[in-house]
This record gives sequence, structure tokens and C-alpha cells, in this order.
Amino acid sequence: MGDNGDEPSERRRSRWRGLVGISIVRLWRRATGTQSRRLAATVGAVALTIALLVVVTGVALGLADGGVVDDHDADVRIAPEDSTSLSAVDDVEEPRLGASHERTAEIRDADGVDHASPTLVELVELEADDGDGSERVLLVGVVPDDESRTVGGLPTDSLETGDSHYADGSYDGPRRGELVLSTAAADRLDAEPGDELAPTGPTIPEDDPVPATTVTAVEDAGDGADETPIALVHLSELQTLSGADDGELADQVLVWGETETAESAADEAYPAASVESIDRTNPSSLFDDGLAFATSLLALLVGVVVCTSFVATTAGMTVNEDRRTLAVLESVGYPTHSRLTIIAVSTLLTTLVGALVGVVLGVGGIYTVNAVASATVATGAVAAVHPVFVPYAVAVALVSGVVATPYPLVVAARTSVLEEVGR
Amino acid sequence: MAAGKPERNNGRLCRSFDRVETGPMSSHPLRRTTARDGQTSTDGEPRTAVRLTDVTHEYGSSGRHDRTVTALRDVSIDVRMGEIVGLEGPSGSGKSTILHAVSGLLVPTEGMIELLDTDLTDRSDRERTRLRRRHVGIVFQRFHLLPSLSARANVALPLVQAGVSRSTRRERAESLLEQVGLGDRIGHLPGELSGGERQRVAIARALVTDPDVIVADEPTGELDTATGADVLELLTDVGRERAMVVASHDESTLAVADRVVTLRDGRVVDDGG
Repeated sequence: MGDNGDEPSERRRSRWRGLVGISIVRLWRRATGTQSRRLAATVGAVALTIALLVVVTGVALGLADGGVVDDHDADVRIAPEDSTSLSAVDDVEEPRLGASHERTAEIRDADGVDHASPTLVELVELEADDGDGSERVLLVGVVPDDESRTVGGLPTDSLETGDSHYADGSYDGPRRGELVLSTAAADRLDAEPGDELAPTGPTIPEDDPVPATTVTAVEDAGDGADETPIALVHLSELQTLSGADDGELADQVLVWGETETAESAADEAYPAASVESIDRTNPSSLFDDGLAFATSLLALLVGVVVCTSFVATTAGMTVNEDRRTLAVLESVGYPTHSRLTIIAVSTLLTTLVGALVGVVLGVGGIYTVNAVASATVATGAVAAVHPVFVPYAVAVALVSGVVATPYPLVVAARTSVLEEVGR
Repeated sequence: MAAGKPERNNGRLCRSFDRVETGPMSSHPLRRTTARDGQTSTDGEPRTAVRLTDVTHEYGSSGRHDRTVTALRDVSIDVRMGEIVGLEGPSGSGKSTILHAVSGLLVPTEGMIELLDTDLTDRSDRERTRLRRRHVGIVFQRFHLLPSLSARANVALPLVQAGVSRSTRRERAESLLEQVGLGDRIGHLPGELSGGERQRVAIARALVTDPDVIVADEPTGELDTATGADVLELLTDVGRERAMVVASHDESTLAVADRVVTLRDGRVVDDGG
């Protein structure tokens, strides 16, 4: 038996398990023994390369996410079951959340929740004061706080904090009459900050004129490429305008804060509603953004090349020092393919360990980059982390390991048993 | 020489094993209590385990080197089962080359090497490796244990390639280590063992596949006199029902041989017969 092709599969399996076991034990003894420096060098080199890859890919993903019109920067969204987010389809009545102010206040009070706001979306015709035509604009009602948040792709910080018109449910508090227009809406209405716009159209009763609102800011929605005319207003004012004040209706409630806490508070406030955390980092967005895609592709190529070079060099040097072991294996009856299997398994295992360390370093690096960027040049996170980074980084490292393995194998195959055991 | 030697048996053994790859193994891995099939020829004489016929070997004759060194010239030696053959001669006389050729680690430039009636010179590398694993145990002067593996793992090493299950490997290795007096050193790394202990581990490794032929290259060369004597006793015990070829400069080592072949400049100058 032994090397015959017709040997029992059980024997083959035992041999494979044994060869992998020898590889693992040797690596472990090296890692914990006095010969750990070479192993540490290989693992470290792979880890640094993979960490760099993860950080650059994270920045690219952050770049890609910033370029997509992201409706909100909230962490959790509460919506009625079976609803879609921010549906702008005309005249389609969707289920809505009731008692939104009261329940959102409960969520807001929970520990770990930074802010919570119901949002209501209504398609409203706005008309400039000079009567120069009207345009349909998607109005999004929101309760802003003193932090800058993004709702409907627009920043809330140009709206006065709070929602004074609500007045504990009486809807008779002072109106702010503020409007944050998206660039697309401002272009259509030919409006600029300071202009007054009045809701109009058949839904507004002629005998009950709605006070005009003042454009407080014109902002790009998302990356500015979105052509949807959209505007932010205070929630209670939009509720009054649309009749949603009866029942304090809202399309959804957005929650900012720690995801788990926010989710549990949301579940408590709206047990029958759909509560979901918002995943803003979608790796597929990399393919939609040319610069981000190119950056991540370049990182991938550099990662593979550098990782392969490091692994090939250090594994080759390790094998060179390990020639006697290979010679001993040959002398006790290990054929070439078994000896090379041990080398290949050792190389790939080392690479795998390096990749896992690299993922940890890379994720840490992304947090560091974000912390540094926030403290210096950026207003928020510039790099994003996604769970898919783990299999991605491991796969890249393993590909590098596979590409690098032939070199140590060649070094191993050229070992002369007589030279080594004769010494 | 063997006839006059006292029978040694430390009486510690007796575990029953299956032969690793080719069939039933004796109940006693160190010494075979019963002759295996084929150990005697049809005329009742012990079977020839190793036969070198007109073997010549030149190092550097592969064409890559301008100069060649002739290590063996027309060497012919027979080693029978149960016979311990010593090889003596100065450095460079060809002792190690003969051991390597018998082990199938090298193919001589000319001549024939038969291991249990199989000519090694017309076999592929892979076949020679398989024959070595099945039939030859090697004991090196410098032990050549894998430093990162425990004594037990070192002994079990040949069984991994043979596809023996882990539990059986451990069982056999532990049994052999007990039989060579290292039952309390099973989990030790080679670096934690003395020279004599390492050589005992190496001997246990050479025996773990129950080989027919043992080749030992200066097995006591790295050991002090007392330890060397212990190792020799163990080797003699091992070689009683196998064929053993021992190369050494040391007279006390060669004294355990049934006959000593003397080499000079790659030639046999005395076959000890």
C-alpha cells in the first residue's frame, strides 16, 4: 500500500490528517519556541499588507458611500410592516405609524439613543411668492436636534432645533416656517435662501391658506447628483398641512445612537412595527463609484503582489533553513509530494494566520483613520467597515499564499537528502 | 560472532501489532520471536536481505560537475537475515555511501543492489522511497530527530506516511518508547533529551514500521562510552532477527557485528568472511 492509487481511502485520509497535523504542530512549536522570529516576520508581513488592504478598501467604501444618495444617517429605522422607505409614489396610501411624537420621545429618552425623529413624507406643490409657477416637491417632515443629521439626503442643521408647532399635541405652537431645499428643488422653483414659498394645489383648501415658508438653505441632496426635488420642514408643520396631525402620523421613525439600544427602545415603542438597523456600508456601492472602485482595485493588486512577495521570500528562507527536516522526512519514507504537502500547508497556514491578524489590524486602522479624520479634516467617518472584509481579506491572503507557494516548494524539492543527513 | 553472544531480552515487551503496510508484524517489535515468511531460503539458510553486486558509484557523475569522485569500486556484499555486518574503514572509504545505497537514498552509477530480492537500481524514486519505508530503518550518527515534534511524534513519523490511524500511531510509538526505556519521555522534545535518549528515540523510529533491514551510521559517534554501550546493546537486540549494517570507526561498536567488512578507497579489502 502506501503510495498506490488503489489504497483504501481511510488510509489516505489518515495520511492527510497526519501531514496537516505535522504542519500545524511544527508551526505551533515554532511560534512558541525560540525559532519564532521567522514565523513572526511572515505573519507580520502578511498582516501588515492585509491591514493596509483593509484600510484602503474601507476608505474606498467610505468614499463610495458618500457618493450615493443616502436618505438618512440614522442607525435604526422603524417603519410599519410592509412599507417601503420614503416612498414618493403619488397618492399611494401606505400604513403609517401613529402617536409618533409621544412614542419617539420615549425612544429618545432611552440610554444610548442620541436622537430620534419621526419623519413624514408628502408630495406638495410649492409656489413662489411672486406666483411664478409651482413645482411638486417631496417634503420631508423631521424633528431636528442640535446635532447635524442627514434626513432625505439633506442636513437638518439649517432647521431650528425642536418642533415648536407640535406644542404637546395641540398643534398650535408657533410655526417656524423653515424649508431646506435640495438643489434640484431650488433649481426647479428658481428659489434661493430667503425666498418665500407657499404650499398650493388642489389638496390645500382655498379657505384655509397655509402660511408661507422661508427657504433657509439650499443644499445638495447626497452627492448632488440626485435629481429628486426634496425639501426638509418641521414635522408638525407638515403634519398639519397634510392632515396627519390627527393621530400624529409618521411614515417612519429614525433613531440615532447605539444600534442595539436603539433597536430595543424602538421595539418597545412600536412592538408591531418593523425595526431594522440601517447598513449604510454596502460593498456593492464600490462598483458604482469609479474612484472608489479604482482605489480598491489598486489596493487589491498591491496587496496581492506585496503579500505574495513577502510570503514567497520568507517561506523560501524558512524552507532553506528546514532542509534537514525535509531530508529526514525523505529518509524515513516520505515521497516528494508528501514533503511538499507539509511545506504548502505550513505556508498557507502561516498566510491564513497573517490574514486574520491583518483583518484585526485593518479594522483597528479604519477606526484610527476615522478618529484622525474626524479630529482634523472631515466632519464624519471617511472609511467604512463591513463584515465582508473578513472573507475578502482572507481570500486575498490565501490567493497570495497559493501564488507564493511554488517558490518554497521549488526550494524544498531541490533539497539533497544525502547532503543534509550526511552532515 | 553471533553464535557466541549471550541472548539478551529485557522482558518488557509484548504488545501485538499488525505489520504496518505489508502484513502481520511480530508480537515483539524490537526482537522477532518467530521468523517471518521468507526469512529463510529453501535450503534452510537465512535469506539474503541485502545484496550488493559489483557496485560502483561516482559522485558528480550526473553531468553537472566537471570532476567526479569515485566513492565505491566494484563492491559486492551480502547481508543475510539475522546477520549484523559491520563496515569499517577510514573517512572517505565508502561506508556511508554503501548505507545510502542500501537505503535507496542513492542509485549507484553501476552495479546492482537487491533489497529482499528487489533490485533498487531499476526502481523509480517513488518506489525506492516506498521500499525504504517498508523495509529499511535508518539510524543516523546525529539522530536527526525533528526538533519541533515530541519523542512520540518523531517515532510515529514513518507511520503517518503509511496512512496508519492516529490512535494506532500513538499506541505503537508509546509502546516502542517504553521498550527502549523512554516510557517517561514520551512527550519530551528532542531538545529536552540527552544524546543517548535521542538515539534511543531514533532507534524506536527506525523500528516503528518493523523493517527487515536496519542501517546504522556511526550510531554511537555522538555518545559517551557508557551511553554508547547501552545503545549498542539495544541495537544488537534489534538486529537479532533482522539484517543490520553498521558503519563505524569505533571498535566497540564493530565488535557487536557478526562480521566486519573493511573498506579502503571505495574497495572491499576484507569481507570479514
